[in-house]
Amino acid sequence: MPKMWLVAKHEYLTMVRRRSFLMGTLGLPALAAVVLAIIILVVSGNRDSRPVGYVDESGILAAGIYPSTMGRRQSVELQIYPDHATARAALEAGQIQAFYVLDAGYLENQQVALYYWDKQPSESVQTQFDNLVRVNLLANTPDAIRNRALKGPDVTIRSADGSRDIRGNFMAFVLPFVVGFFFMMAVMSSAGYLLEAVTTEKENRTMEVMVTSLTPEQLISGKAFGLIAVSLTQLLIWLLTILLALAIGAQFTPVLQGIWVPLTLLGIVIAYFFPAFVLVGGLMTAIGSAVTDTRQGQQIAGLLNLLFALPFFFIILIMEGTNNPILVALTLFPTTAFLTVALRWSVTTVPLWQLACSWVLLVATAAFSVWAAARILRVGMLRYGQRLSLHAIIETLRSRQHAGGTYHA
Amino acid sequence: MATVTVSQISKRFGDVQAVSDVSFEVHPGEIFGLLGPNGAGKTTTIRIVLDIFRADRGEVTVFGGKLDEASKNHIGYMPEERGLYQDQKLEPTLVYLATLKGLDSGTARSRLAHWLERLDLYEHRNKKVQELSKGMQQKAQLIATLLHDPDLIVVDEPFAGLDPVNTRLVNEIMEEQRQAGKTILMSTHQMYQVEALCNRIVLINRGRAVLYGEVDQIRHDFAGNAIVVEGQGDFMGLPGVLEVRQQNSEWRLALAPGAKPQEVLRALAAREETRIERFEIAEPSLDDIFVSVVKGDQAGSGHPHGEGVTGHA
Repeated sequence: MPKMWLVAKHEYLTMVRRRSFLMGTLGLPALAAVVLAIIILVVSGNRDSRPVGYVDESGILAAGIYPSTMGRRQSVELQIYPDHATARAALEAGQIQAFYVLDAGYLENQQVALYYWDKQPSESVQTQFDNLVRVNLLANTPDAIRNRALKGPDVTIRSADGSRDIRGNFMAFVLPFVVGFFFMMAVMSSAGYLLEAVTTEKENRTMEVMVTSLTPEQLISGKAFGLIAVSLTQLLIWLLTILLALAIGAQFTPVLQGIWVPLTLLGIVIAYFFPAFVLVGGLMTAIGSAVTDTRQGQQIAGLLNLLFALPFFFIILIMEGTNNPILVALTLFPTTAFLTVALRWSVTTVPLWQLACSWVLLVATAAFSVWAAARILRVGMLRYGQRLSLHAIIETLRSRQHAGGTYHA
Repeated sequence: MATVTVSQISKRFGDVQAVSDVSFEVHPGEIFGLLGPNGAGKTTTIRIVLDIFRADRGEVTVFGGKLDEASKNHIGYMPEERGLYQDQKLEPTLVYLATLKGLDSGTARSRLAHWLERLDLYEHRNKKVQELSKGMQQKAQLIATLLHDPDLIVVDEPFAGLDPVNTRLVNEIMEEQRQAGKTILMSTHQMYQVEALCNRIVLINRGRAVLYGEVDQIRHDFAGNAIVVEGQGDFMGLPGVLEVRQQNSEWRLALAPGAKPQEVLRALAAREETRIERFEIAEPSLDDIFVSVVKGDQAGSGHPHGEGVTGHA
């Protein structure tokens, strides 16, 4: 196995076996599962499965059409009663949880009375009864129209130039924000691992032995590949958890039904994820090589993280969906490009020239960061307990000779 | 063919000339000593040999060519700055380091058991490195250096931090490796170890090679540069004497290069309060030679033997 892959495998296995990784990775799904279980318990515990009655004094429901379930589960059975007294008797006997009375003048006054003892029927029961009324009001229309009316409005958000449409429910509109944020978190967590991996190598003074076995470039690439795999593992576990949670949640909450991820957004995420990761990896390797220990590295990396998270401070501006110069600058600036594009994606059309320029700038900066990191690593790796000054870093980058070092005779 | 050839290498770090025109060869099957005081340039020289640093000038060949990935697999290196992954278990750490030297993990594991038992670490193989004592970590580092059965072994201060028992064990291992035909480049301060182990040495002082050759020949050349005196009185401040050490009842006087024992005897005889019971020219120890050369160099004579390097390669 090539040495780079040996390093990658070692880094991956070392990291995924750590308690902190296991807790961080499995902790989130476990927490989600607990919360979900509590919600389900509360919902099902409070749920009344007894039928709901109704009295039709208006004659609207005489046709007796029941709405199609359209794949959804009906909450309870709806039972018709001939008059108020019979329905009330059933309620008092506990046979039904509540009953509706459609007023005789319903078509004029839209009056509906609801009778229950101490607990109001759930929202889904009320929706079910509303649908029954709607369907029967449209008794004389074809089935297709009836069903479409039941489905409700279908909102389409279209960009001014007509190049992009966003259809669907509220969650589909919000999802690009979630996805952008989520992938950004993955990039930053990988960066944290990489910083730790480089500073640990320096703190443990293993660098000198390592570079007599393989080149600094093989070492950095191996670590980067191993740690990107760690992040992707974490991401995959989280994604599967979210999908599972959505699938389960959709059974109970109609708003979660029909969520989809726009393919164009997925394309953008894939195109930006790798160079953004390489850029962060290069920067973290350089920081890890220049500092004396992990704590010092984390302090500097914390400041750097702000540069990546900057678009969140301009979220209002982004929501306005304009081509404000600040947004254009954030789109083009390599550290903010990924998140800005992801956030802008759901509300506006990012001009193609901005996309192309920002991607090229990101890729170029990422390549430069790896080149610089390899140089700084080579000089900084043997400076045990010493910080590499900014002046020394600049000198290293400007020097023609690839190998430098510290005076340690 | 020499295993390592170093030809006139120089390396500068900012204002400091760490190594200047150093040359030497290390031959197969020998233990070669790289000697010098602290800050002389030994570690820098080793790092240049191993391509960790690149020389500003000069050339290094290892196994007859430039150092590449294949030749790196045949080198075992124990740096002065010891280092292993502290929060990882000993056995997997050593196996991982061996696989980076081209060994498959199965072979590494089977060889490792032998080394762990030999160096009394077998019981500790499942402990994290940070749970081991400093001496144990030092031995673990030696295993990492030897596990892949390298042809060239480079050890920087291999005896530092070891107790006498483990010093003897490391000594034995080095001797075994030499007998197995391995080339050993060893940097150390411990002159008695050099005398016991090394075939040839190079002494580096202030970045320059000031002494180079076979240990026996160097000692022969330096005979007369040390005197053993027994008696009473003051033996300090004699002309041409660099260092005076008392060993039991005798005084050992290291002479400056060029100083004659007769002149020292004459100076002693001139001291009325000094009584001499024994005066003889000593076979110098490497320690004496080291002091003589280094102090002579510092005293401004620069190159103690005119040519800068006493060559007996």
